[in-house]
Amino acid sequence: MIKVSINGEVQEISENLNVSELITKLGYTNKGFAVAINTTFVAIDSYSKTVVKEGDTVDILAPIQGG
Amino acid sequence: MKTDNSSWEIGGKTLSSRLLIGSALYPSPANMEDAIKVSGSQIVTVALRRQSAGSNSGGDFWNIIKSLGIEVLPNTAGCHSAKEAITTAKMAREVFGTNWIKLEVIGDQYNLQPDPYETLEAAEVLIKDGFEVFPYTTDDLVVAKRLVDVGCKILMPWGSPIGSGQGLMNPTNLKAIREKFPKIKLIVDAGIGKPSDAVEAMELGYDGVLLNSAIALAHDPVKMADAFRYAIEAGRLGYEAGAMQKREFASASTPTVGTPFWHQFG
Repeated sequence: MIKVSINGEVQEISENLNVSELITKLGYTNKGFAVAINTTFVAIDSYSKTVVKEGDTVDILAPIQGG
Repeated sequence: MKTDNSSWEIGGKTLSSRLLIGSALYPSPANMEDAIKVSGSQIVTVALRRQSAGSNSGGDFWNIIKSLGIEVLPNTAGCHSAKEAITTAKMAREVFGTNWIKLEVIGDQYNLQPDPYETLEAAEVLIKDGFEVFPYTTDDLVVAKRLVDVGCKILMPWGSPIGSGQGLMNPTNLKAIREKFPKIKLIVDAGIGKPSDAVEAMELGYDGVLLNSAIALAHDPVKMADAFRYAIEAGRLGYEAGAMQKREFASASTPTVGTPFWHQFG
């Protein structure tokens, strides 16, 4: 297991998970979100080849009201 | 007979409304939807925030916005560095399916003043990456010039700090930016409090006004949205019509020839 921060909360996840596997495991079902790791954008077509590592900061963002 | 030349172009789109409206702070989603419709706005600003797996609030909100059938302008609100803003812009492009980005990099938490250095750096990177950048900036002419130099075709100087409702703090500076950049699309963004502030911005020759709190925090947001629709149109018409020159003294408008009971004041 490795520790990563997901949306500001430290969680333990399995090693060698890619982004696609991580978001499925976390339960994200709809497609209306985008992902960044360590403040770098991860495009949707890179999910399967981007492996989450120990200490990574993962942000999963969705639409919200804005000014 | 309608006399306004209402159609205009921004970011590759031809629009009729010159009001850009925010989607935050309304009493309810239904109220937001009604206010946006009544405003006649064709550009609505949206944002991205962390969302847990169990929640679909973002999806519900996005469905309402999509149903309006108008242009979406995602923002980078909350970013404090060029890197954060660039990442947020790329995420927004993927989620919202647009290359438009309201670039907002805050440099001071007290007055939410944009950071010119980080904004400039982010603007340059994003433009090279194919974004249409709508940079939120102050009314500083030199910063405006630098943004134009890196390729910005749109500038959004503030009227006053975000959410303050203070109106146009420095119309002289805003006017100077208008005169300096006649071909750049200029939008007053932030600080608008009441319809007369929007009229003033439009009378300066600005191409549009972006506001949120002034409508959303009104006692009746839908009615205020209507008021701003008229204000934007009135201000634009006034600008196009060309205001008279101010005079130092009074000048009678009713003809003096044939005045009854005429007498000379001493």
